[in-house]
Amino acid sequence: MHEAAIAQSIIDIVLRRLASIRSDNAKAQRVSVILGEFRNVEPESLAFAFENMREFYPELTECRLDMETISAQAKCQKAQHLYHPEPTSFYLCPICESGIGCLIRGEEMDVVNVVIEIPKAEEEKRHARIG
Amino acid sequence: MHESADEHALERILGKNDEMADHNREHFRRSKTCVFNVMSAPGAGKTTVLEWTFRNLDGKFKPCVIEGDMVGNLDADRIAKTGTPVYQISTGRSCHLDAQMITRLLHSESVEKSDTIFIENVGNLVCPAEFPLGEYKRIVLLSITEGDDKPIKYPVIFRNCDLVLLTKCDLMEHVDFSLEEAEKRILAINPNVLVMHVSAKTGYGMEKWLAWIVRQISEYQSEIKKIAHVHHSAH
Repeated sequence: MHEAAIAQSIIDIVLRRLASIRSDNAKAQRVSVILGEFRNVEPESLAFAFENMREFYPELTECRLDMETISAQAKCQKAQHLYHPEPTSFYLCPICESGIGCLIRGEEMDVVNVVIEIPKAEEEKRHARIG
Repeated sequence: MHESADEHALERILGKNDEMADHNREHFRRSKTCVFNVMSAPGAGKTTVLEWTFRNLDGKFKPCVIEGDMVGNLDADRIAKTGTPVYQISTGRSCHLDAQMITRLLHSESVEKSDTIFIENVGNLVCPAEFPLGEYKRIVLLSITEGDDKPIKYPVIFRNCDLVLLTKCDLMEHVDFSLEEAEKRILAINPNVLVMHVSAKTGYGMEKWLAWIVRQISEYQSEIKKIAHVHHSAH
């Protein structure tokens, strides 16, 4: 189950972002990721791994994992038709029945957003220091 | 009362592994070592193909093997019997090798002395595909006893490889496996891949495999020479 390794990588990214804010009391509220259809990631397994692993990090215990699946889009080998490659049709182009030439979408696996909460008092202090 | 900070910078989830893989790749380029990542489901014949390969390389290269297994060193013991240096990585609970596991071995004696490394990944058609290790080429084995539907079920690993070996072809008359159908399905997912039919038991197709390996090593050596030349000229 490599979803555990992927969950750990997401947590590591959130921890790095938290560290960069340099606040003792900042907490991550949400991390948003995109997962391409042509990546070997099962969202339910990833959610399960993330929810269990975040418990080990006090600054992440309330952090929600938002996942968006990006459906695959390919250009076919023969005529560059744009199509959605599907296992039920053996990933073949529905127009000319040639295979996948290049994948335009569907290989994403990225963190796109992390929402971090900083206590208001601390935020004011930070602004005062900067000012 | 709290303030929120939105951090919108896009970051690859497995970016750290990719960085380590790049580090390994650069290390291998400097040491002129050609590295193959060999992947398949458990029991497809990775170790058997490697054993045959080392018995037939006729001292042409100085190979070394990195064996990835969740538990035990049975495959490493088999490789060691061919006289090829071998390192065992026991991944424990992990179903794949990652780049950092390879990094830890970069300065091992036999790795440093080798010009060719075969990394035998953990038997699995899913997870290893997601973790580049710093290899030059990726090889996937599919044994005909597994069924010709596997490229459809596991497209990612077949999409991201350079060579597919359809192994155990000596068993052809005993199984319902269409070599033609399997090859068609693999090429529909990855038009750039080469597919070979082999049997390490009878030697069928294995000369072609060996010739491919020798060609890859030679092409790799030429490529890195060119890069070194460009770097040298630039300075």
